[in-house]
Formats: sequence, structure tokens, C-alpha cells
Amino acid sequence: MPPEIPKTLAGLPTSAPRFVGKPTARIEDPALVSGRVEFIDNLALPGMLHCAILRSPVAHARITRIDVRGAEAMPGVFAVLTGEDARRTTAPLATIPEGWGVHCLAAGKVRFVGEPVAAVAATTRYLAEDALERIEVEYEPLDPIVDAVEAMKPGAPLILEEKGTNVVLQKKFVWGDVAGAFRSADRVFTERFRWNRLGANPMETFGVVAQWDPVDGTLTCRGSYQTQGYMALAVATVLQVSAHRVRVVSHPHGGSFGGKGGTRGTCIAALLSRKAGGRPVKWIEDRMEYLVGGAGQAWDRHYEASLAVKADGTLTGLRVRLIDDLGGTPEGAGAISAAKPLTSFTGCYTIGAAEYDLTLVLTNKLPTGPYRGMGPPPHNWVVEQMVDIAARDLGIDPGEIRRRNFIPKDAFPYEIVTGNEYDSGDYAAALDRVIEMSEYRRLREEQERARAQGRLVGLGLVSTIEPGVFDWNAYAIVGVPMTGVPEGATVSIDLFGKIVAKVGFSLEGQGQYTVAAQVLADYFGVEMSDVRIVAQDSLAAPPHFGPGGSRLGVALTGAILGAAERVKAKLVRVAAHLMQADPSAVELMDGKLRLRGVAGAEMPVAQVAAVMLTRSDLLPPDVEPSPEATYVWTAPGRTPADENGRAKSYLTAANACHLVRVEIDPDTAQVRIDGYWIADDCGVRLNPANVEGMIRGGVAQGVGAALLEEYVYDAEGQALTSTFMDYLLPSIHDVPQAQMATLVTPSPFTPLGAKGVGEGAIHTTPAAILCAINDALAPLGVRATESPASPQRLWTLLQNAKPGR
Amino acid sequence: MTNPVAGTRPALHAIRVTVNGVVHEASVDPRTTLADFVRGDLGLGGTHVGCEHGVCGACTILVEGETARACLMLAVQADGRSITTIEGIGAEGALHPIQQAFVDERGLQCGFCTPGFVMTVHELLATRPDPSDEEILDHLGGNLCRCTGYESILRSVRLAARRLREAKAAGAEEKA
Ligand code: FES
Ligand code: FES
Repeated sequence: MPPEIPKTLAGLPTSAPRFVGKPTARIEDPALVSGRVEFIDNLALPGMLHCAILRSPVAHARITRIDVRGAEAMPGVFAVLTGEDARRTTAPLATIPEGWGVHCLAAGKVRFVGEPVAAVAATTRYLAEDALERIEVEYEPLDPIVDAVEAMKPGAPLILEEKGTNVVLQKKFVWGDVAGAFRSADRVFTERFRWNRLGANPMETFGVVAQWDPVDGTLTCRGSYQTQGYMALAVATVLQVSAHRVRVVSHPHGGSFGGKGGTRGTCIAALLSRKAGGRPVKWIEDRMEYLVGGAGQAWDRHYEASLAVKADGTLTGLRVRLIDDLGGTPEGAGAISAAKPLTSFTGCYTIGAAEYDLTLVLTNKLPTGPYRGMGPPPHNWVVEQMVDIAARDLGIDPGEIRRRNFIPKDAFPYEIVTGNEYDSGDYAAALDRVIEMSEYRRLREEQERARAQGRLVGLGLVSTIEPGVFDWNAYAIVGVPMTGVPEGATVSIDLFGKIVAKVGFSLEGQGQYTVAAQVLADYFGVEMSDVRIVAQDSLAAPPHFGPGGSRLGVALTGAILGAAERVKAKLVRVAAHLMQADPSAVELMDGKLRLRGVAGAEMPVAQVAAVMLTRSDLLPPDVEPSPEATYVWTAPGRTPADENGRAKSYLTAANACHLVRVEIDPDTAQVRIDGYWIADDCGVRLNPANVEGMIRGGVAQGVGAALLEEYVYDAEGQALTSTFMDYLLPSIHDVPQAQMATLVTPSPFTPLGAKGVGEGAIHTTPAAILCAINDALAPLGVRATESPASPQRLWTLLQNAKPGR
Repeated sequence: MTNPVAGTRPALHAIRVTVNGVVHEASVDPRTTLADFVRGDLGLGGTHVGCEHGVCGACTILVEGETARACLMLAVQADGRSITTIEGIGAEGALHPIQQAFVDERGLQCGFCTPGFVMTVHELLATRPDPSDEEILDHLGGNLCRCTGYESILRSVRLAARRLREAKAAGAEEKA
């Protein structure tokens, strides 16, 4: 029987929660601020070798000769690998959609700058890098294809010749009466947009220590894995061993945001370990490798969008055409981020007809991968822009046009036209909070005065959805066949009443161990320090996914509560037996098993657990001596997708309204953010300080996306952004300190009413900033439509606006 | 572990470095970075490496009390000098007030950048016990954090400064 999981805080067995819902300190932090957490590069195993990887310096070429003898002859070098080894002993990397994979080391041909070509394991990293210089590779150049639109044309150079095309997928999805909506529209607005590549760049790059056991043919990979269970499957597939022979151990890692990657690096380190007779091999990706050849590039997109609008501002139809440049292969799950916008295609609005004309294309660039938000942030950036274009043309305030089109608060649960169901929300209330808190009217008046003085001041006011609690079924249109994402936890109580929860993921930054400890402390009436969260490896943990898709806070809470309910059921049976009562008369409350209606008839949890573990003579005969239980949670009510991708997919829909005020310097085209207001509604906040951290971090990444971050390739496919001097992350000077308000519309579907919020403001900030910039530019009659809105791009626009200057 | 295999690089240099108050004598390959020496040879893993090219600040340590990027220095350049790393300013259970302030104000998420920030703030507050926000921003402009959005870091620094000032005032009172 599945346990009953409380959907509200009142459902917890405590008269007043002491921890859940409070901004408690994080149990992760003392070790982190002391530098005493074992990030993967801090791990050294006896006999460990160090790997360095030789990477392709060209975007597209045949490898005509590769000679590794010089490297092999160097003292201290224990193994050298090339693409030929990979071709002989491994399967191609898995891709989405299936069947477009290449080997973990380039075999015969390179397809992007930075692609691994050879690898060395030596006694030190220094020596390993020396050895790379003794490897001779000859390349016969092929024409590179760098532009996605060109890559679609017949006759374009082919990335994977055997496929006969660079187009991985091309399909048009139509939901509702799109033709009718556009036919009967009073106005139709169309615009093109270009969102350039950017990506995760966690402060720690990827790293692994792989060790092959030559005796029993098993492999252990320790590393900075975001999702260890899936990595075990991916690595087992490539190395052609069965998955139960691969153990993946996720170490604490320095952020991920989806962009940690690691499949290629893990496979290379594993093959080197095997070749070196089973010595452990460490590979730590350096930052230049990360930027050029890592998992840190996402969303390279060419958009064209059309919006059908009635004269009163009612939005009736949305068309989006997307050409998504996946780079050299679809191995990085970039395709998923083209599918995910289906979860919230029409945003906060009641748009009843939509069309998605989707093309996925390969080019000679790094394969794109996941990044925080996984696709909707650029989609929202386009859609919110279109709403503003309509508002400006119709002379309606951007707040007002949105309000007129919001899904009303009494319409939930609400099925959007692309099939997903939003759980709950009050979008107008969030908008009102922002308008109130920012004194929006006054800001508009100030803007009028500034404009009169010739200053370029703009306001961006947008509302977005953050789809939370990801589900695989959202990606059906790119070939993902699964529904449901299991997340498990095991909860056990020792004979002193201390609690351990075992989970299938490690530290990444979101504070999930703290959330688990809060829930358990309130559930069993103990202190948070009485709870310990322990990471289990991919073989030891119950079914798990780990962090990703704004899901883990909700899923983990579900798993922990389910396991706790099961432990409680056992405690109740034992306590009832000891108190000679019927189990139905015994309840858990405030850390005690008590007999309902009998004052003083109660036993502390610790006492019951101790009896279970130490006095088998006192137990009911059919109760095992185990105050421990496992529960694997998955989102309820998910449906498989139909052929148009319609499904109940992401379980929650958080909402945010952002207002940003910018001023553009007319001489330098520099954008200054001088005001930022947020109202955010992600349901019940299990730990409000964690939530605030997610939102503020998302704002920072959104600022980077809107103004700074871009991976640049030249016409030959050469990567021009290979250091943090070229790829600009936001610093403390760039990120505004937003004023924030909280709204709480609980989810009716989730444990404790919480919603996913881990990806947070990156859904909203890029859109808000671009809207503000275009509001500032409006009097000049020009519009920014390319990300990031760098000074160089805006300066060019300003020059075009002022001929003769 | 930067000791190369015998025969490939004979020219090891003897250095003598004081790290967190302990004198270390070692022979190092002259190209060994200070970050690799501290992390690998001395086993002090709290100095993190985020970029290895001097931009992110994760590897920030103190050399003679002043911040330095351990990824941009060679171990041989530290010969004869005194270094402080994150391990030298506090420990679990006995956090330095700056570390405690980062915990209390949530100045971290993944914590990878945090040792670098703590060392940078250490230098700031040693010279400016009551910094303005502008001074804090200026001082931290060279440390990148991908997680927090910096607002909580700013709050952490304010709190640390206040607590350190209060502790100093209390100490002075006690003496008087
Ligand atoms: S690792 Fe030294 S500055 Fe980034
Ligand atoms: S806390 Fe993760 S980089 Fe700063």
C-alpha cells in the first residue's frame, strides 16, 4: 500500500512545525565554508594516474594519421588511447534522438574543435600533458559548417556522412485552431530572434576518478556527477558492460546547473584505467577544456515568432519557428531543451492555439547540453517580447495586456493548449505586488521625464511560468519514451532515536540535505542535528535521479515523507503491542507514539525503535526488527504523451513577475540595471532561505544570459571563447540586488504543497531585461532581438537609429 | 603529487614555505603551481581551482597577509614566504567569524567559490574593518560565484565586519 503523503504542513505529525517552512541554517555549510568537503579533485587513491586529453584544434577534418609512440615511450606514461581503441572496444555515445552518436574519442574524423582525439594516463597531470605534445596527428581538413541555416541546405558538408543529412529532426506541431486564430486576428505581429550559445559554467568543472577492476570486470567511477544513476547507464552502454558492473559515486560538487556532463571523460578515464591494469585514473577537466569541449554550451537558436492578437489585446494564437543548432552530435541532450517549452508554451496566458515548427540541426560546434531552465528561458524571452511588441503597437501598458490574458486564478488546474496541466496560481496577484512594491506608476512618470531629456530609460515587466518537477514525458517529441521519474529515500532510526536518511545524490548547492533534515526533524520530533543525510552510490541507493528539472525539493520531500510514513506504521504496531492497544488507537505526534484519548499513555520514538532493535522478545511476532523503510516517489497522475507531445508532464507551475529598470548609455551602449523587483509564487516554501537563494542565483545567471554570456565561433568553427576573459560571467558588479516579495499558492498535488523552484529566475530575467532594453529603445524605432544585448550589438543598433551621427 | 619520474626533469628546487604556521621543506618541479603544491603536496584541499587562469578567484590565498591567486603563482615563488589558506583561518566547530557570517547569511550554495571569498574578505576586513558597500563590491569584484547572485555574500561581509568590530571593542573593554 502506498503511504499517505501529507499535502499540507498541517498533515505533519507535529502540533507546530519547528523547521519546515523556516529559513533554517543549512547543515551542509560548516564543512563547505571550511574547505573540508571532498570535491572530486581532493580525492587521491593509491597508485592513481592522471589523465590528459588531446583535443581537436580544427572543426571538421579527417584524421589521416595518428602516432602515439612518442608518448608511450615517455617514462611515467602508463596508457595512451586513441579513437581506434574507442572504435574497437566501445559503443557510440547515446544520443537523443537515438542513433546519432559518435565514439568518446574521435575515430577517423573530428566534428568540432575540442573533440577528444587521444588521451594519456601518467603519474602526474604535468607529465600527461607533456606526453600529449609527443602525439602526432595529421588532419585532412573538410569544409566546416558552422551556421545552422546553411547546414540545413542540400549539399551542405555533412557532420555524420552515413546519415545523409545534418537535420536531426524537423516537425511541425499544431495545437488548437491556429489557422483560425491567425485568420480572425485583428493584428498579427512577427519578429525574428537570435539567441546565442551560452551555458552553465559551474565554478567547479567536471572531474572523475575511474578504476577498473581487472579481476571481476567491474568499474567504479567517482566524480562530480549530477545524476549518478543515469551516468551508470550511459557509461555501461558505451563500455559494453552490464549496468550492474558499473558503480558511480557522486561526490559533492561545485554547482552543476545541468552543465556538468561527464560521459566522455568518464569513459576515457575508465578505458585508460583498464589499459593501465586497473590503476585508478583521475581526469579533472580544466576550465579551457570546459569552455571549449565540456558540457557547458546550450541553446543556440534561431527563432521566428508570430502572435495573433485582437484589438482589445486578447492573445489568441502563437506560432514559434525554431531552428536549434545542436552542434556536432545530439549526445548532450540539447534536443530535450527544444522539447521542454511544451510544458509552458503559452506562458501565463490563455492562448488557445499554438504551433511549433521545430528543426534540430547539426553543425561543427560543440554538442549542446542542458542548462538551468532547459529550454524555456529563450522561449520565454521570445514570447514575452512578442507580448510587448503587441502591447506597444496597441498602446496598452505591458502589465495591462498581460493581466487581460492571464489564466484566471479560479481556472486551475488548467490545461494549456500544448497539453500540460498547471496546478495552481494567481498571476494577477503577483503582478499587483510588483506594481505596488515598485511604485510602477511613478517609475513610468520618471521614464517620461527621462525620455524628454533624451535619456534611454526602459522598464521591462514580464510574467512567466517555471515548470517544476520534471517528467520525461515532456520530451516525447524528441524520442524520449519514458513517463515518471522515481526518487527514493531510505529512512532509519537507531536505538538512540537518531535518524539517518539515505539518498541517491550528493551535495550540489541547493541545500537538499537541509530540506530532508527539516522534514524528518519535524516528522519525528527531533532536532535537525539528530538527522544525518547520507549519499549512496548508484548501486546502493534506491531508484533515484538526483537534482534536475526543478524537481528534487518536491520529489525528495515525497520520498522522505513516504519512507517516514512507513517507519511510523511499524512504530505504531510495536507501540500498540507494548501498550496492549489496537494499532488504530495509536498515533505519532510530536515525537511520541501515543494512545489516543488516554493521557500519559505514550512512548518516545527512540524507545520504540530501541525495543525493535534490542528486544525481539517484546515484538509482535510478525514485525521485523527494523525501524527502517524505503519509499520511491514519483509524480502522481502523469500521462504518456500523444503524437503531438501533449501530456501531463511537469507537475507544478510556479509563477514569477519581474520588473526591471534599465538605462542605456547612448555613447557606450552599456546597459545599467538600476532597479529590480520580483514577486515569486512557488507554492509552500519548505525553506524560504533556500528558495530566495535559488531565485537570486537565477537572476544572476539571467543577467549573464541577457547581457554578457556568449560562446563565439568564427566562420571556420574555431572557438573564440576559451577563457573567462572571453566568456563573461556576471560579477558582483553586474547583478542587481532585487527587491523581492513572496506569494504562496500551494500546489494541490505535491507533498506539503511545494512547487519546483530550483531553476528559478533564469526563466524570467532574460525576458525582463530584453523587454526593458526595447522599452528604452522604443523612441528610436529600433529593437534588440539578439542575445546577449552586448554593448557592441546595442551600439550598432543605436548607430542605425541615428543616421549621420 | 608533482614529483616527476626520475630522469625526466632532474632540476627540482628546494623550497621552504610556512603554511598556516607550519614550516614545510620540499623539493618541487619549478613549474609546479602554488595551487597544485598546496593542494597536492600538502594535502590542503580547501583552496579550490575554478579556472587556472586567474579570473575566478576560487584559489585565493594569503601570501604575507595579502591575497594572491594560487593558480598564477609557482610554488618556487613562495619560497621563504608565509602563506595562509582556508584551513588556516578556522575549522569545523570553531569557524572564523567570517566563515560563520557566510553560514548565517547564506553566503554560499555549492561552496566551491567560498574559500576564495573568505580569504578575500579576510584581507578586506583586516585593512578596512568598517567597509562601505561600495568598498565591499570593489574588493570582491574579482571573485566569481555562479550560485548565489552575490546578494547574500554582500550581507555576509557586512555581518562579519560588524561582528569583528564588536569583538574587538569587547576585547578592548576587557583590557581596560
Ligand atoms: S583558479 Fe585561480 S583565479 Fe580561478
Ligand atoms: S556558492 Fe557555488 S560558486 Fe559560489
